[in-house]
Amino acid sequence: MSLLEARGITKHFPGVIALDAVDLRFERGEVHCIVGENGAGKSTLVKVLTGIYRPDEGDLHYDGETPPAIGYVPQELNLFDHMTVAENMFLPLENGVLFRRKELEEAAQPFLDDLKMTSAPQDLVRDISVAEKQLLQIARALASRRSDILILDEPTASLTATEIERLFAIVEELQARGTAIVFITHRLDEVMRLHSVVSVLRNGCVVGNSDGKEVSEAWIVSKMTGKEMDLSTLYRPRTSRGETVFRVEGLSGEGFEEISFELHAGEVLGFAGLVGAGRSEVLQTLFGMRNPTAGQAWFDGEPWVFNKPARAISKGVMYLSEERKAHGIFPHMSVRKNVGVGLLRDVARLGVVSSEREAEATARIIGDYRVKTAWSETKIMNLSGGNQQKVLIGRGLMANPRVMVFDEPTRGIDVNAKDEIYRLMQQVAEDKKIAVVLISSEIEELLKCSNRVLSLYDGRINAEIVAEELSEERLLSSIINTGGASDATAANREDAHV
Amino acid sequence: MSDGLVNMTQRRGFNLKGGGQIVGVLIAFVVICVVASLVAPQFLTSYNMTIISRDLAFIGIVAIAQGMLLLLGDIDVSIGAIAGLCGIVCTKLLVDAHLDPALAISAGLAVGAIAGAINGTIITMFNLNSLVVTIGMLSVYSGLNLWITKGRTIVGLPKEVTVLGGGKLMGVPVPVYIMAGAFLMILFLTTKTVYGRRLYAVGNSREAAKIIGIHEQRVRIVAYAIAGALAGLAGMLLCFRLVSAQASMGQSWLLPSIAAPVIGGIATTGGIGTIWGALLGAAIIAVIGNVIVLGGVDVYLQQVVTGAIVVIAVALDAITRKMGRG
Repeated sequence: MSLLEARGITKHFPGVIALDAVDLRFERGEVHCIVGENGAGKSTLVKVLTGIYRPDEGDLHYDGETPPAIGYVPQELNLFDHMTVAENMFLPLENGVLFRRKELEEAAQPFLDDLKMTSAPQDLVRDISVAEKQLLQIARALASRRSDILILDEPTASLTATEIERLFAIVEELQARGTAIVFITHRLDEVMRLHSVVSVLRNGCVVGNSDGKEVSEAWIVSKMTGKEMDLSTLYRPRTSRGETVFRVEGLSGEGFEEISFELHAGEVLGFAGLVGAGRSEVLQTLFGMRNPTAGQAWFDGEPWVFNKPARAISKGVMYLSEERKAHGIFPHMSVRKNVGVGLLRDVARLGVVSSEREAEATARIIGDYRVKTAWSETKIMNLSGGNQQKVLIGRGLMANPRVMVFDEPTRGIDVNAKDEIYRLMQQVAEDKKIAVVLISSEIEELLKCSNRVLSLYDGRINAEIVAEELSEERLLSSIINTGGASDATAANREDAHV
Repeated sequence: MSDGLVNMTQRRGFNLKGGGQIVGVLIAFVVICVVASLVAPQFLTSYNMTIISRDLAFIGIVAIAQGMLLLLGDIDVSIGAIAGLCGIVCTKLLVDAHLDPALAISAGLAVGAIAGAINGTIITMFNLNSLVVTIGMLSVYSGLNLWITKGRTIVGLPKEVTVLGGGKLMGVPVPVYIMAGAFLMILFLTTKTVYGRRLYAVGNSREAAKIIGIHEQRVRIVAYAIAGALAGLAGMLLCFRLVSAQASMGQSWLLPSIAAPVIGGIATTGGIGTIWGALLGAAIIAVIGNVIVLGGVDVYLQQVVTGAIVVIAVALDAITRKMGRG
């Protein structure tokens, strides 16, 4: 029997099945890689395994008397910066009266040695390198639970090639000692390197399992993609694209490097990539929310001045944030005032706002974009996500923009409203000749809506795919950087982190 | 999708001009007044009304000033010290330099605006915590007040100005008219102007405000300057009322300046509430302070009661909000 076995795990969330009858086995001394796109169900699976979620159906079996101890190392750094390495390892500490610093530091040392870490137990976490922090999270997982199973969620995201090698050596050593390792990753080269068992998740189902056989990258990609994607309705603008609006050359900044592209009027340009690939950062830099470190851009042939959002807006460039709740709406203001505040030039005279003009603009948006709201005086936070998004899009369009950036426009929005937003993007590109940028983590969305897709990997463009070549497989390969582009970017990564 | 519709019909009655909370505060105010008139027969006399309204004039102005900042999610605890500084500067100019009253008062307002703008600039430029910065500035401005006055009381204000503090017009103290004017101005500013919309937007979400092109730092600095000028106005009126200036003036205004807007439903996190709330909250504080005196309670207990009311108001607000959600 296995160390841990998941049988028929099913987990529903309102409107979606996150996990659908998942069967998986985890064995002692085995590395088990779990791969899948964004939204395939990987994080839900981890939460079920670690007991954060209770599955709706199915259960976990184990061979011993007690369930195996599971250590979990989250993707993002989750440490107390102003406390020491030792304190971070053993918090929240056992109950007691006195805090014995020496004992704690002595207890920490063997774990640090095990992972060949260079930091000392008394070092402050804020002073150690990112790689050491990543290792410290692993040390913490090992120290607190003496884990039988160690779950590593995208552990290499912020490591350089040498540091990754060190991590792999550690993984192999733990493996040799009998620890079961669950390795969640997007990087297929790592899967190959680890010679592990591979399970592929897709739409909440296990669609592929290597079952002891050696598998190829091609096999994994074929499993990750599928044929069920409904591409019968496309929302790509059908009119021919217009003049170049933006020309960007060699743009670099925090999180991205050497980005060059052209954006045309009347097209939808998709930006594909993993979370953290630098897509939002590129567009936010153009918009003036971040500072570039190198590179240039031209807008209508004129050199573009990287300044504040206010300037970009005055030139007709709009940005809809992916964080709709935090960076989009003004939650406690009415729908009318949310509309008005983005159109103050139009609804105000001599600094005085006309409520009537605000109400007119709001009524037009509610009518044109079929926003479901009983009246415009309600607080916008009481609208559904899709309706909030339509209000924000409508407001942006009222200012007659030249460029509109949609950053994850359908996140947290139900299926019907998604189609409406796709249709809207298509319409504005076709009828108003607006240059639309669509940043999305959903492959289906990019395939349905884009005339052209730029794929970013580790902050660099690794592929440009035109409409005729757009396919799920091609897009996915670019996003996870398999095939031709991988050597170049691997070298780049090394530079980027030095 | 449909939940939006349901929510709205339920809330319709509570959304008139910035939230039903103000109705609740108004009811509380009326109840307090009724109870007060039952407990203390002198409460409703015109003499007593004069006393209350004069208290309200001063508390009201600083409450409106602080209320504006709270709407932004900001706070300025040095407002009382700025009030004192403006009063002292204005009095000095009148007494020592024999400056024209209109010029001296303008100078006082300017000092307040500059002091406020300095606070706002320091806070926004380095993205600092407004509470901590203004606690520091409280000490700076109070120190300046002591340094200018050398701890002595400045007397000898001309009659033209003392009438502004102590005079009456149609039986109502002059400061009340001035407070009403300030209130109407700020009410107009916050509800009808472009600046007001930006103010609420920044209070709701600084990030969202930036994304639609609002210069949030500018909006906040201007608010600090306006609040400083209003505090200066209150400080000068107090000098005119007392016919003198001294370093400790305005020190007691800190608590009511924050308590009044909070009682009136302005959230300290920003973006929620109206200037009406600041005024009503100030009225509630003025009445309660008065009732304590009428009831023969030790004057020093007034602080205990006002403090307790603030805490209760904040707790009640949080509880009703939670119930509203659940």
